[in-house]
Amino acid sequence: MSEAAIEIKDLRVDYGDFVAVHDISLSIPYGQVFGLVGPNGAGKTSTFKVLTTLMEPTYGEVTVAGFDIFESADEARRVMAYMPDLAPVPSDLKLWEFLDFHADTHRLGGGKERLARVDECLAIVNLSEKREAWCKELSRGQTQRLILAKTLLHRPKVLILDEPASGLDPLSRREMRLALQALANEGATVLVSSHILSELAEMCSSLCVMNQGRLLASGTAEEVKRQLGNAERRFKARTFGDPESLASWLEKRSDISALKREGAVVNFQFTGDDDGQENLLADLVNAGLKLRAFEEEGSSFEDILVSVAEGNRVE
Amino acid sequence: MKNGDNHRPRRAVPAWKIWANPIVRRYARSRLRPASFGVALLLTVMVAGFLFFVSREGSARVMGEEVNMARMPLIPLLILQGLILFGLGTGQAAAGITTEADEGVIDYQRLAPMTPLAKVMGYLFGLPIREWLLFTATLPFTIWSVWMGEVPLGSFFQLYSVFVMAAILYHLTGLLAGSVMKNRRWAFLASTGMVFLLYTVIPQAAKFGLVYLKYVTIYPVFKDVYPDLLARPLGDAAVILQSVIPQARFFGLNLPQVVFTLISQAVLILAMVTMLWRRWRKADCHLLGKVGATGLFAWLQVMLLGNALPLIATGDLFPSRELSRRFGRLVEPGAGEWSPELGEAFVMIALYGVVTLIFLWWLIFLITPQDQTQVRGWRRARKLGSPSLPQLSDAATAFPWALAMAGMGAVGWFVFSNALLQSHWYPQFSLNSLTPLAMVLILLGGGMGLQALLECYGRKITGLMVILAGILPLMLAVIMGVTSDSLSVPAIWMGVICPLSWPFYGAAVFLSPDELPRHVARAMPLAFWFMQGVTILIVLWLLGQLRESRRKISEASKEG
Repeated sequence: MSEAAIEIKDLRVDYGDFVAVHDISLSIPYGQVFGLVGPNGAGKTSTFKVLTTLMEPTYGEVTVAGFDIFESADEARRVMAYMPDLAPVPSDLKLWEFLDFHADTHRLGGGKERLARVDECLAIVNLSEKREAWCKELSRGQTQRLILAKTLLHRPKVLILDEPASGLDPLSRREMRLALQALANEGATVLVSSHILSELAEMCSSLCVMNQGRLLASGTAEEVKRQLGNAERRFKARTFGDPESLASWLEKRSDISALKREGAVVNFQFTGDDDGQENLLADLVNAGLKLRAFEEEGSSFEDILVSVAEGNRVE
Repeated sequence: MKNGDNHRPRRAVPAWKIWANPIVRRYARSRLRPASFGVALLLTVMVAGFLFFVSREGSARVMGEEVNMARMPLIPLLILQGLILFGLGTGQAAAGITTEADEGVIDYQRLAPMTPLAKVMGYLFGLPIREWLLFTATLPFTIWSVWMGEVPLGSFFQLYSVFVMAAILYHLTGLLAGSVMKNRRWAFLASTGMVFLLYTVIPQAAKFGLVYLKYVTIYPVFKDVYPDLLARPLGDAAVILQSVIPQARFFGLNLPQVVFTLISQAVLILAMVTMLWRRWRKADCHLLGKVGATGLFAWLQVMLLGNALPLIATGDLFPSRELSRRFGRLVEPGAGEWSPELGEAFVMIALYGVVTLIFLWWLIFLITPQDQTQVRGWRRARKLGSPSLPQLSDAATAFPWALAMAGMGAVGWFVFSNALLQSHWYPQFSLNSLTPLAMVLILLGGGMGLQALLECYGRKITGLMVILAGILPLMLAVIMGVTSDSLSVPAIWMGVICPLSWPFYGAAVFLSPDELPRHVARAMPLAFWFMQGVTILIVLWLLGQLRESRRKISEASKEG
């Protein structure tokens, strides 16, 4: 079995002349909550559809839990679960019937065993009291939770969730986040997409950013911010002494710009790498400026995503 | 994974285990809810009971004997069962699958770890499950009538085995229609309309040389056994009529109708299951592969010929023969000296050509790749280091396969026409020397033209061309033809634009029938050969375009 839960190599998806996914490669280890973020049209859903065997790519190699999804689609489907964006539900089934049907397709034991699992999953997503309700009567958030219950039924090794938190209230989002992290702790791999980077940053152990079919950055949230954030890193500093003397000391340096004083705090941009930052701090201390605080301010995730969406980071 | 190991999933349910199929169980749950199913069941039993008692007791005074009375409900019940299974069941299969696609839940089933065949079986028997049970609810009335009417069990089983097989065939057609169409109402109407056509139009076509088509219905077997279903005085009369109804003949073989019908329907069922299986395996693939489509076309040609040729010598292929047998003796005593008219051969030859052309177009439509498919295929091939597309892939051109099918169709059509006119019925006629050329031109022109148009310009432009060069000229020609005799020649020139009319023009060229008015007989060959000349030029131009389009797509796939 492959060491990675999901392994993508040179994946490409075309719709006529439009290239939805452009030769991406990605490896996601077991036990991670991995986020895929990007603006609408970035290629996230196409990637997910290929991963879940719903779509054949133009070319590429994909394995899920060690199964080649083109050669062993049935085996791959047995160990994965997919929650689509705006997940639909049938109009002619009740909640428990809908889940029981999917439990049956996964052959999760006899009637009693299956129903016990159905009730267990309904409880996980707090829908036990709606057990006998019709699927079509649920609100958007409840529908999302029902589909999450469906994906949990067969205890998949890999969960692929497309915008799972859309339509959920803050409490439900928190519950979903905790549920996904619990699954990851048990060894499952969760691949989750969103166009809200901050939301993913909260729940993901690592993530990658896609735009126009290409992977722009991947790693931990901080690494992604670093890779996609501005080249000029923003800092703020405070001293026990006069902030004016700190400001005038900084002003003399060529690697400092956009200097601004806000009360006791001095904000500035620094064009240097990690070593440069270390030297800057040492220089500040050696200059006897009595530093009280010195911290880096990254670009916000939303800023990064807006700039990505504008395409100004695409090669 | 910790929990996953505790609950190791079992193997997927085998396709043949219908009762354990999750999709069947899902629909059993949703379509057999006591409230709605109960009402449908009550209505069905009431109608079946009404038919049973009315036809039984209503005939009591006339029939007298219990055996005769008991047989009377059998045919009304069979019609009710046909309405339930053939009509409602087929419509439900089509509308149900369209609803799943419409709601979006069909993707869940695509992801279900079941084999594609198990999914096909699940929908085939799950969607119309209510109709199957309603049908079963009418069976006690039938069985009682069979028992009390002393109907031979062989007849009963023959009829009902074909009935069930036909229902499965129609439900599969419904599923296919539902898989292709997006609107559930249209899917319902189209599939039930198809069943209606099968029992109204197709039997008429079967009388004009296309004998095979009747084997997709229950008519042949019904005709075989219906004397046993009638009250004895009627049944005895039917036996006399039946004695002159031909048995199923296939080239040199003489087969019982039931066996031949079951074989014919089984092959079509296999073809449709293959199409659905392919769709479940890969959602965007062609319904049939190139080899499968060519094989199906060959099979249809063999069946059309195999059923028709043996009936020529006996005269049973000609529609006037059966009429003569049934009514000739009653109307004119000299009916024994029957011989067919040339007009019958004209219609049969033309119809054979039309049906061959329609099958050809349908299969070409199924296997011709869209430009998107070609681009993706080329990119994949290039990535894998291949200089060309795999010949059997969906992305590869359908040109050679369309050519092969058109060639087979021309051969089949020639064999049929030649056998008909070389028979002892038409000693004074023979096909003229240009016939093979005309047949090849009609099928190659029609087939390759459509293939090149589809592959170069896509479905929308082709659809527009079908309207402008197919339907519109034919409609105008008909209007001109019925408006005035003086417009008949312009109508002939207008009508020849529509490729579907070519077999009729061709038949007129092959036979030069004397029955046609002189000016029509002169105009038809002229219009036909002129149109064939124009078609050759158009097809050659289209083939050039096709070559260029393929080159462009191949080049475009190198970019990006």
